[in-house]
Amino acid sequence: MAAEFVTAVKTSEIPTDGITAIDVRGTRVAVANVGGTYYAFADACTHEQCSLAEEGELAGTTVTCTCHGSEFDVRTGKVLAPPATLPVKVYPVRVAGDALQIEV
Amino acid sequence: MPRAYVIVGASLAGATAAITLREEGADGTVTLIGAEHEPPYERPPLSKAYLRGEVPFDKALVRPSAFYAEHGIETVFGTRATRIDPSARLVELEDHRRVPFDALLIATGGRNRRVSIPGGDLEGIYGLRTVQDADRIRKEMVAGRRVVVVGMGFIGSEVAASLRQKGLDVVAIDPSKTPLFRVLGEAVGQTIADLHRAHGVRTIFEDTVARFEGTRRVASVVTKGGLRLECDFVVVGIGIEPAVDMLGDSGIHLDNGVVVDEHCRTNVSGIHAAGDVANHYHPLFDRQMRVEHWHNAVKQGAAAARNMLGKPVVYDEVHWFWSDQYDANLQYAGFHTKWEQLVVRGRLDSDSYLACYVNDGRIDAVVGLNRAKDVRRVMPLIKARRAVDLEQLRDEGVDLRTLHASP
Repeated sequence: MAAEFVTAVKTSEIPTDGITAIDVRGTRVAVANVGGTYYAFADACTHEQCSLAEEGELAGTTVTCTCHGSEFDVRTGKVLAPPATLPVKVYPVRVAGDALQIEV
Repeated sequence: MPRAYVIVGASLAGATAAITLREEGADGTVTLIGAEHEPPYERPPLSKAYLRGEVPFDKALVRPSAFYAEHGIETVFGTRATRIDPSARLVELEDHRRVPFDALLIATGGRNRRVSIPGGDLEGIYGLRTVQDADRIRKEMVAGRRVVVVGMGFIGSEVAASLRQKGLDVVAIDPSKTPLFRVLGEAVGQTIADLHRAHGVRTIFEDTVARFEGTRRVASVVTKGGLRLECDFVVVGIGIEPAVDMLGDSGIHLDNGVVVDEHCRTNVSGIHAAGDVANHYHPLFDRQMRVEHWHNAVKQGAAAARNMLGKPVVYDEVHWFWSDQYDANLQYAGFHTKWEQLVVRGRLDSDSYLACYVNDGRIDAVVGLNRAKDVRRVMPLIKARRAVDLEQLRDEGVDLRTLHASP
């Protein structure tokens, strides 16, 4: 099945400067709200699979997985600090009215 | 002018320094020399996921083995450096090669303290520092076999947990009152003892090994307290000592490792040290300290590289480490040796708490069990080196991010 945008959550449910985990058609996605801009990425640190929604600490566009300290750029998924070496998968998002749509 | 950057110790600190030198545009050669045959790897998995056979060795590599050549880093692995001549600016290797340097980093790490007790040379007694050590232990790891873990510091505690997780019958012995006693103290250490007992480890504290017995191979451990512990093998985790043998006549100041300042510099111009071997001056705590953890190896390795490039970076990280045991995630940040108050958020007799080691109203260090986020939120308070409101620190209802250090 091709990737498509799916209405995932109301934007009001994602606290500012927080991260919320959402199930999008069976895929667990983390959504970060960085001052009103939304970024979606796989909700598993690539180091030891901690939930970034639960264990992640967001500062600007950087999420730190507090389990072991790996840092990622939520915009690109790029690793900013080890021990993780592989990027997290990021998903395109768009806002439609009061809903956040995620392409999975 | 191109320079020769040489790193002795293909460790996490050494590899991180080499990578940082290249990332930050070092003009010249970068040579990474290490006694171990493998490309640089991370040691945390050796007592945990790798020991349990859950991840392949490749997962522990700092970079894929092809990385170094691809990034202009010359590697000399499987070859020990034997001497440094600071006046001739040469590193001598065991194969008699001489490697000239303009800037040198010592990142030789540590080696396991040896057991000097009767029977210590019997077969079946293992230390754990290298991947070979881990492989030797893995060969012994068959469910139902009996193992005695000597020493319940971080390595002993993690190994005991991994062995239990693989179904071995584990007895752990330590001279202190609790595991991790020296670092965490009795109250917190007791919670770790409880954790191990809850997972079926038999713990013996305030007792030590008098001798190992067996014919050729260890068959039992006899304690000074008179216990006889029959076993199939033994793992000893009683700490490391800094690996400084090659520096004996170098003129480099040695005291509990290689003494360096906040710029990772030794007393000899152009020679730096980082990682487990470096007894560094820490500006936040105004004292020397030597730290044997992953985070320090990464951060100090990078800081040393920048200083080698002439960028005057002060190394003042709040030290931090984790220790995963069973399903529990233990983390510590800061530095303390004693404390006036232990301020606890949550309950120590639960499976999630935060405990702060406080002196003069300031948080010197924090330990958390399954409180990773809270540990991270306390780190800025440690860095601030100022008094905090201890009632708020204790109060679960107060978001630690709003808990500012008083001016």
